[in-house]
Amino acid sequence: MTAAACGRALCLTLLGLSAARGAEGQTAGLAPAHVLSLALAAPNVLGVTVTSGGSQSIASLVDNATNAFPSPVVLQTNWNLNPGQTAEVDLIAYFAVPAQALSGGATQIPSSRILGRMATGLPTTYTAVSGAPVAGVGTAGGSLHLFRQAINGGNKVASRTDNLDLELNLVGFPTLAVGSYTGTLTIQAVTQ
Amino acid sequence: MSLVSRALAGAVVLSLAAGMAQAQAGLTSSPATVALTATKSATLTLSPTSATATLASITDSSASNQFSAVNLTTSWNLTSGTSVRLIGWFATPAQALVNGTDFIPSSKVEGRVGAAAFSPFSGGAVGGVGVANGSLQLFSQAVGAGTFLGSRSDQLDVRLNLANTFTVAGTYSGTLNLQAVVQ
Repeated sequence: MTAAACGRALCLTLLGLSAARGAEGQTAGLAPAHVLSLALAAPNVLGVTVTSGGSQSIASLVDNATNAFPSPVVLQTNWNLNPGQTAEVDLIAYFAVPAQALSGGATQIPSSRILGRMATGLPTTYTAVSGAPVAGVGTAGGSLHLFRQAINGGNKVASRTDNLDLELNLVGFPTLAVGSYTGTLTIQAVTQ
Repeated sequence: MSLVSRALAGAVVLSLAAGMAQAQAGLTSSPATVALTATKSATLTLSPTSATATLASITDSSASNQFSAVNLTTSWNLTSGTSVRLIGWFATPAQALVNGTDFIPSSKVEGRVGAAAFSPFSGGAVGGVGVANGSLQLFSQAVGAGTFLGSRSDQLDVRLNLANTFTVAGTYSGTLNLQAVVQ
């Protein structure tokens, strides 16, 4: 096996065979030659970083209205993958407990009331964070598939930056009691 | 060294490569998080169904000068306080209604909500709302735990009490301010 044949695996072949063969004809007492092949996998890389907008706040909620979070969440997703072994990268946003996406005292705001959109991704219009997991990432009824990026030879080592806009839709929702409602939206990438 | 050994070594390498292929599908990143905070502030709103109340014809020396009724909805969402109060007031009590240089003072204008008796707009401010001698508290709604979020609807009746009073012919107009306050 050669290094080229190993692909992304780093192969080191210690080949003492030629020398051993040459020696075999001259010295019958030589020990047999051994071939030792070592394979080392280069680490696959998949990461997602919130470069800005990691803390979103609405200062004054309005009942029975759509309340936009003020600035986009800027997400950078980077990868270093083998296109022969990975078809795509998916990015998912989800709430761990969909029924309690935002909590404030005894009142809970479900994830279906939190909407997201990504102009460069799949939900180009505001879509509720109430979908299913993708490739095991996310929670049932509390997830939003943000993008699906095909992997090929041209982008096997790459990154992309996307803006995620968020809003809280309280149209038809019972009047909220005075107070602060907090929650955490998790962003995670997965390969398929 | 035999070909068997070399084959075995190659098999080891192939085995490792296959393992890597399986690992790349389903590879997940570390999770990133976005902290979300939304704050609901205390609110107190007053919504009249109409911005005008009219009286087609004034009858002197009579208390039967009632304007068209105005319906009001008062809504509150609070965390503290013991009462929500609605105050009606005229900015210049001596000139509640004006017809050129002729005035009807606020003491001749009376109001009520519901079945309450008519009272003149001649009281003091309440909770900083209103003006001296030109105000009338229309209701006081107790609030507390369990009722910090609520609303009520009322019909506001306003009339001119012109007992022993004569007016110069003409159109009298004025502005009644309505404002709710939490105490």
